[in-house]
Amino acid sequence: MKRRPNHEVRRDQLIGVAVFLTVWEVSAQAFDKPLLLPPVSAILAALWELLISGALIKALGESILLLVAGLAVASLIGFICGTLIARSKTAYWMLNPYFSALFVTPTIALVPLVLVWFGFGFTGRVIVVVLAAVVPILFSVASGLRDSPDDLIEVARSFGVKGEIQLLFQVRLRAAMPVLMAGLRLAAGRAVVGMAVAETYLRLGGIGGLIKSYGAVFQTDFVFAAILPLSLLGIAIVTLISRFERRLHWT
Amino acid sequence: MPSRLTKPSVWLPILSLVLVLGGWEVVGRSIDPLLFAPPSAVAATLASLLATGELQAAAQVTMKALFLGYALAIIAGIPFGVLMGALPRLGDILQPYLYAIFSTPRVVVVPLIIVWFGIGFEARLFLVFFWSAIAISVNTAQGVRHARPDLVEVARSFRANRIEMARHVLIPGAIPFVVAGLRIGAERAIVGVIIGEMFLQIVGLGGVIQKGSVELLPAKMLSAVMVIAVLGTIIVTMLDLVEKRFQSWRGEST
Amino acid sequence: MTNATIRNTHPPAIELKGIRKSFVLSEGRNARTVMALDGIDLAINQHEFVTIIGPSGCGKTTLLRVMASLILPDAGDVLVDGAPVSEPGTKRAMVFQTFGLFPWKTVIDNVTFPLMVRKLPAAKAREIAMEHLVRVGLEKFVDAHPHQLSGGMQQRVGLSRALATGADVLLMDEPFGAIDAQTREFMQEELMRIWQEEQKTVIFITHDLDEAVMLADRVLLMSRGPGRVREIIDVDLPRPRTDYDVRVRKNFTETRSHLWNLLRNDLVEQRAEETT
Repeated sequence: MKRRPNHEVRRDQLIGVAVFLTVWEVSAQAFDKPLLLPPVSAILAALWELLISGALIKALGESILLLVAGLAVASLIGFICGTLIARSKTAYWMLNPYFSALFVTPTIALVPLVLVWFGFGFTGRVIVVVLAAVVPILFSVASGLRDSPDDLIEVARSFGVKGEIQLLFQVRLRAAMPVLMAGLRLAAGRAVVGMAVAETYLRLGGIGGLIKSYGAVFQTDFVFAAILPLSLLGIAIVTLISRFERRLHWT
Repeated sequence: MPSRLTKPSVWLPILSLVLVLGGWEVVGRSIDPLLFAPPSAVAATLASLLATGELQAAAQVTMKALFLGYALAIIAGIPFGVLMGALPRLGDILQPYLYAIFSTPRVVVVPLIIVWFGIGFEARLFLVFFWSAIAISVNTAQGVRHARPDLVEVARSFRANRIEMARHVLIPGAIPFVVAGLRIGAERAIVGVIIGEMFLQIVGLGGVIQKGSVELLPAKMLSAVMVIAVLGTIIVTMLDLVEKRFQSWRGEST
Repeated sequence: MTNATIRNTHPPAIELKGIRKSFVLSEGRNARTVMALDGIDLAINQHEFVTIIGPSGCGKTTLLRVMASLILPDAGDVLVDGAPVSEPGTKRAMVFQTFGLFPWKTVIDNVTFPLMVRKLPAAKAREIAMEHLVRVGLEKFVDAHPHQLSGGMQQRVGLSRALATGADVLLMDEPFGAIDAQTREFMQEELMRIWQEEQKTVIFITHDLDEAVMLADRVLLMSRGPGRVREIIDVDLPRPRTDYDVRVRKNFTETRSHLWNLLRNDLVEQRAEETT
């Protein structure tokens, strides 16, 4: 196994970033086509402008609100349907095929339908995020609860834990935590995509709308400057969840 | 999974399908046809789209970009992944960029792709190829780097040379990872081709959805969505089966 | 037993002279050096069965890997039949704790692997492998994959692979550690029988005191880091030991309790260090 020490990796990566940005800046200056490849300095200037004008903060705020709302609804639906699928054969065979089909259908393909049915107010956008994020949560709840550890359930029973509800919260859900968190991590990644799709399909504000509006007028430096925080947002959310996930790794 | 729950049942999915379609039909008929289409309308539209050949032609356009882009992604992604795995330093340096690109939703990159590649076939191909290639190469690199140390030691103890080490230990050990990469890459490729058809060049199945949306024909949109879902399911299920075949290769002995 | 005459006419099967080995452990920024083997001198005779026991972290696995030339020592020499070695050789074969079977190869292909590496013709390699698999009763499983076999069966494949190489010295790293207790006893008997019939030299790491005493001509007790040989104990029990239960012999219990007392001190010290 070629695992290198962390500080060495970090050093190489820092050098790599420095080289990368320098090469970009120099070649973009020489190339001199800011429409195709704006220099790093121009992108940073654009980012600065977006920051001090407050446009970026406002857009990020809208996007995060959408993301949180979408993930919350997706978690609720995923939890309820996932529990049903895990505990009942009827529910499994009646619901699972639809969710499987939803999982492999690109969210983007569903967006025009959502637009027609729900409009593109906040509700419509939340629904897009939910469509993107619900399946990983549902599948993780279903498989986490299905693989409940029989031995731990017996232990809990022998120490007086009674009833399905109590067992669910005292044993099954806790044992399923690592799987649930993995599902949530996957869902969060897809939710960010759903959010961007919802915000980009029409120019509607949020960080996706911001990118779209600069793209429409070919301000490439501002497009880059707005994509950067969106990527960071996605990475930050996923990293946060995997941090939490690693803490859970008693298994 | 206990078999009690997953033992195949024929009746339940059929019952569920009847319930869903029936409910949909009843609700669909009571709503403005510009907004909502009952299953009977979708079926009729699907039949007429198939009869005129519009859907087949669209699917062909989609498949062409999908398979070409995916094939290129495999051709480029696997060797590049092997390279990154064999040179851990290179892999470590590139990883943050690949990760950042991979986590950036593609719809927001569309403006950049338009200025770089225009809105033609090349632009769509790039949307399919690039993200798929990243998925394949990152997984391949992981497979090459994560050779089981105990098996490497076994081969060394029996005096295997570098070529034998690669042939008997490193490559077979990496294959499950490569296959996983191929599956993730295929998912990415499918999404990529649809994005390209809805945002860049209004063609193919994505184009049918987009046109249906403009013409306010929900039945047309749903027909295309269904075809996409079926094609996606077939492709992903096939790769899933391949992946399962290689599962035991990954298996740690105790 | 004619150990004395063998000792006089043959050089030791494996001889270690002044072996030192240290590792650098990096924990984030601060790296520290850990002494794994601190001057080991040792001679293992032809056809001898030596077990190595010691608390975890005493360097016994490092010692075995040095003997296999999988690790090169910082200082000192490893001699096989009196000749210094610096890379894995055909006279030594390893058996691994995790069995070390290639999950993508069938049982027979796992066993022929070292023979193929040696460029033996495929038919010949297969013949040799079959012969050894038959001896451990696995002839029905030659085309199975490892994951279809139980742990005990997997390790019999690992043992067959080592024996099929025709190596004189078997280096075994807790080979039965991952196998359930009853199967383990059966495997111990099987190993002793093979060792006796084929006149192999066996060096066998274990963390099981009973196993260490039951199998060995000599038990080598290592003490916790810096890795040193604490004591070498001769086991005076008649062979073949497969014919009776050695554990009821007085010599067995005395040797075992002697080893336990030594080992216990180390463990008590270790616990004291850990809690401070």
